[in-house]
Amino acid sequence: MQRIKHSLRAHKTSLILLLLLTLLLGGAIIVQAYTITLIVNDIFLEGASFSSVIEWLALLLVALTVRSISDYYSKKIGVKIASAVKEETRKELLEQYKHQISVSEKQGVVGEKVSMLLDGVDEMDSFYSQFIPQVMQSAFVPLLTLIIIFTQHVNSGIILMVTAPFIPIFMIVIGIKTQKKSEEKLEQMAAFSGTFLDTLKGLVTLKIFNQTDRKKDELEKSSLGFRDATMEILKIAFTQSFMLEVVSMLSIGLIALEIAFQLVLYDGISFFTAFFVLILVPEFFTALRELGTTFHNGRSSMGATEKVFESFEESVSPVEWGEVELTASDETPTLELANVSFQYEGSDFALKNINIYAAPHEKIAIVGPSGAGKSTLLHLLSGMITAEQGDILINNHSLYAYTENNWLQQISYISQEPYIFSGTFAENIAIGSNQEIDMVEIKLAAQKAGISELIESLPDKYQTYIGEGARGLSSGEKQRVAIARAFIKKPNIVLLDEPTRGLDLQTEKVLQQSTSELQQFGTILTIAHRLHTIKDADKIVFLQDGQIAGIGSHQELIHTLPAYREMVTIQQGGIDNDSN
Amino acid sequence: MTPIKQLIRVIFMEKKDIFYAVLFGFIAGIASVGLFAASGYLISKAALETPLYALIVVTSTVKLLGFIKAGTKYGERLVSHRATFTILSNLRVQFFEKLEPLVPQIFRKYRSGDLLGRVVGDVESLQNFFLRVFYPPIVLLLVFVSTIFFTSFYSFSVAMILLVGYLITTFVIPFLFSLKQMKIKQQVRANRGDLSTEVTDYMYGYKELKLFQQAETKKQDLLQKSNVYISAQNKENMNKVFNQSVTSFVTFVTSWVVLAVGAYLVAGDQLDGLFLAMLVMISLTVFEPIAPMGVFPIYYQESQSAVTRLNEVVEDTAIETDSGKAQIEQTNTPTIVFDQVSFNYFADWRKTLSDISLTIESGTKTAIVGASGSGKSTLLQLLIKLQFAQDGKITWNNQDYEEIAAEDIWQQARVVLQENHFFYGTIKDNLLIANTEATEEELNTALHHVLLSHFSLSDAVAERGQNLSGGEKQRLAIARAMLKKGNLWVLDEPTSSLDAKTELIIMKQIEQLAADDTLLLVSHRINGLEKMDQIIVMEYGEIIELGSYDALMKQQGYLYKMKQLEQSLLI
Repeated sequence: MQRIKHSLRAHKTSLILLLLLTLLLGGAIIVQAYTITLIVNDIFLEGASFSSVIEWLALLLVALTVRSISDYYSKKIGVKIASAVKEETRKELLEQYKHQISVSEKQGVVGEKVSMLLDGVDEMDSFYSQFIPQVMQSAFVPLLTLIIIFTQHVNSGIILMVTAPFIPIFMIVIGIKTQKKSEEKLEQMAAFSGTFLDTLKGLVTLKIFNQTDRKKDELEKSSLGFRDATMEILKIAFTQSFMLEVVSMLSIGLIALEIAFQLVLYDGISFFTAFFVLILVPEFFTALRELGTTFHNGRSSMGATEKVFESFEESVSPVEWGEVELTASDETPTLELANVSFQYEGSDFALKNINIYAAPHEKIAIVGPSGAGKSTLLHLLSGMITAEQGDILINNHSLYAYTENNWLQQISYISQEPYIFSGTFAENIAIGSNQEIDMVEIKLAAQKAGISELIESLPDKYQTYIGEGARGLSSGEKQRVAIARAFIKKPNIVLLDEPTRGLDLQTEKVLQQSTSELQQFGTILTIAHRLHTIKDADKIVFLQDGQIAGIGSHQELIHTLPAYREMVTIQQGGIDNDSN
Repeated sequence: MTPIKQLIRVIFMEKKDIFYAVLFGFIAGIASVGLFAASGYLISKAALETPLYALIVVTSTVKLLGFIKAGTKYGERLVSHRATFTILSNLRVQFFEKLEPLVPQIFRKYRSGDLLGRVVGDVESLQNFFLRVFYPPIVLLLVFVSTIFFTSFYSFSVAMILLVGYLITTFVIPFLFSLKQMKIKQQVRANRGDLSTEVTDYMYGYKELKLFQQAETKKQDLLQKSNVYISAQNKENMNKVFNQSVTSFVTFVTSWVVLAVGAYLVAGDQLDGLFLAMLVMISLTVFEPIAPMGVFPIYYQESQSAVTRLNEVVEDTAIETDSGKAQIEQTNTPTIVFDQVSFNYFADWRKTLSDISLTIESGTKTAIVGASGSGKSTLLQLLIKLQFAQDGKITWNNQDYEEIAAEDIWQQARVVLQENHFFYGTIKDNLLIANTEATEEELNTALHHVLLSHFSLSDAVAERGQNLSGGEKQRLAIARAMLKKGNLWVLDEPTSSLDAKTELIIMKQIEQLAADDTLLLVSHRINGLEKMDQIIVMEYGEIIELGSYDALMKQQGYLYKMKQLEQSLLI
């Protein structure tokens, strides 16, 4: 709610303008009723000539035009505010997500955010473009007409004052009585509404078990169940508007009757006043009725808006970078983790007191059971997340003293499932650098990454479209694209998450070759799953439950660390096969 | 038949509700006009000092009309909404029927996630067609015709003015508006597509972008696309607002003309002044239900494009359906032969399977191994006729797959796919899918076989089995295969989410049950395949090695190297 108010405050001038337009609209409605009455009165009762009412007709036309124009412009303001809010919100959401995505690991979380950015923001539209102007109109127009009616004929005003409150009272009574029931029904509806998609998604399964007909009947049954549940809720809404209608009808009837009696029996009022009031009264109820439906419709768009704003509440402290430029950035720096600790928010898992030193061009393997904190360690090094305690030292200076760009320039991160962007092979490789890259370089990188053969075999070669929408690459191929990106970048530090499953032998070969080639550029830290990678490393870091259980060479750890020895032997069925 | 006509045919299945919706709508509309006409008349009459009893009659009429209006409006809403949801149910069933024969061949062309989400969204959006496109114009037409007819008794000119106003607001403006709307809508959709790609890339590829220092540039691109999209939406909204305003202005002007002409006629003694207020009131009220007509073209277009899109999918001639009619002649344990079979997906730039030839002898056990994306799963899909070979021939005991009805093959096959679907319901419901005649005892035995004895048959299963772990889903899928009848086992990485010990026990169970049957297993690992009669090694959609485990090991080729690689994996 606070956020919604805040978002409106930014458009204060527009809102004031909106208010003025609404008042203008109300004024036009009253002038309209007034002139119509006047014309009918003059012609019908006074027997005036047509030419004498021409001026009034002209004024009426002006009033009608003003009414239409002010309505148009107030809606236009709503649309304008909606556009501005959407633009602003998307921008702020991106800023907000920037820190969240780097931390979150789950794909589902990202999916949620994608739909928030697209649909969530879109759904905010009607709240600003329709709800806000409508609320203004529905609030001020009845008020204005009521005042005018009072000035004309107090009795009618009193009847309105007495009957109108019945509308909200009825609404509340019906609302309270049915709220619980409708909540139950809503749950039921949610269960039904997914059935169609669920059934379609299960079609293959149904087919291979020859069960499609049975499920079709169930689908029909559940669809009709959905209908009945929805109708229960709608009935409540319809009853509400029925009551509203009855109340306004009664009220209008009462006023008409009262006016008529006054006219006939007591000559208490003139035809003019009677007709004027009679035209204004429906305007009063129409606006009031609209307020009801507006609130009804507004609830969903307001809910959507609040949901978007809620995501601003989740706070994540971003990495704070410094100003220092890393001097001699061509040279591989030393790297040291000094007493580093980290914990994900809301998670029990923590990395504790990590101490690692990596000399330039060293090859370090990070080993440990799943959940030991290996990826978290790489995330820390990449600068995606900040160490809570301790420091990461680059050339003996804190990593966080350097500029972000300066650090990112130094590193390449090859994950298990690298992301392939919508675009061509060439574009996907060239993304490795933030400078213009020519085709010669791209081809060379692809060659080194062992993917050039595949690319060259395709009709469009490097211009072949990959990524979203195109049937993608296998995970091994994606990994090779990522390696090609690294060859373009020529980083001083390579962070590599070795793939575990579904690998083809060629990627395997490329991985082995290219890692040794990447070592020429700089230091390599690998989350290692393969014995040869481990044996090849200068140093093995064995992680367990977020802590370093030991650092050393393969032989050293085998002899000194039972947990390490156990891990290797279980998988190998005896170390003797492999330790030679 | 055009898509819209087909849609209307579905709607006409609910004749009774349509009739009542139109009837109630008409009465409500007429009562509303009558109500205001009567009150205008009442006031005028009162001004002329008429006897009291006449006034009371008119007043009672006003009241009565008020109640009739409120009551019939309620009825109209109730009936029209019920009809809408019944129609929606009919549409769902109809599209289920239409889509059913196309699955999963359709996934050769469309990605499953995109397609099904879209189909569901489009079908659901069609519920607006009846409610906002189909019946309101009918009601409106009836109300107008009656009102114009009624007015013509008092003044022919006023009747004509109302007619002109009606024609402009219901035909001319919506027509002009929808032309413009169509163009804008296309633009909006295109811009949304662009933004969607950009957002997906940015969010899923964020880490990469950041590390390559491209996040800021990409973000600016994204925001720029977002602004283009927003300004297109802005245009769309403004067009709607403009349309609404023009419509209401025209109705105002019509009332104005009625008043002006009425005044002129009264002044010239061509019309009794008593009716002037009534006619003005009529003209002000009769246009009230016009407002929803402003959105008519929007809903019309949305429905039309939804139904066209749906038809494009379900009537896509590029998607083959099963033409096989014949039954399997020899239902004994099958021998299956692939002869130079090829297959590829529509959007794919390379063949998924090329030139596959192999023989699976009756009662033998075959394993297929290979890297991800090498075509193993596709091979299995062809084997159970979920997809059709584009080239070459597959036979079942020498009978051509093209002749055999796919249902007949499924009847014989016990299948565990990589992705197995579980429906909202209970464990029992989900197991009974495999064999509707299975007793509770048999179901429990199956659960026991897959080490899920701790599950009760009445345990709830959420949509898509979201409350089950990957391993539980795999084990339930295996239980289904065990419950089913048939002598061909087709298993696609059935145990990839299980730990080694559970995997071993369950595979033993399958081995026993399938002892005399033909069995095909896509395996995620080489360990444990020693007993298989035949091993097929695939790479890039081709068979690169084929033979017994021992022979291939001796050969020291691809399988051997894969085994080495597997051995060197620690985690």
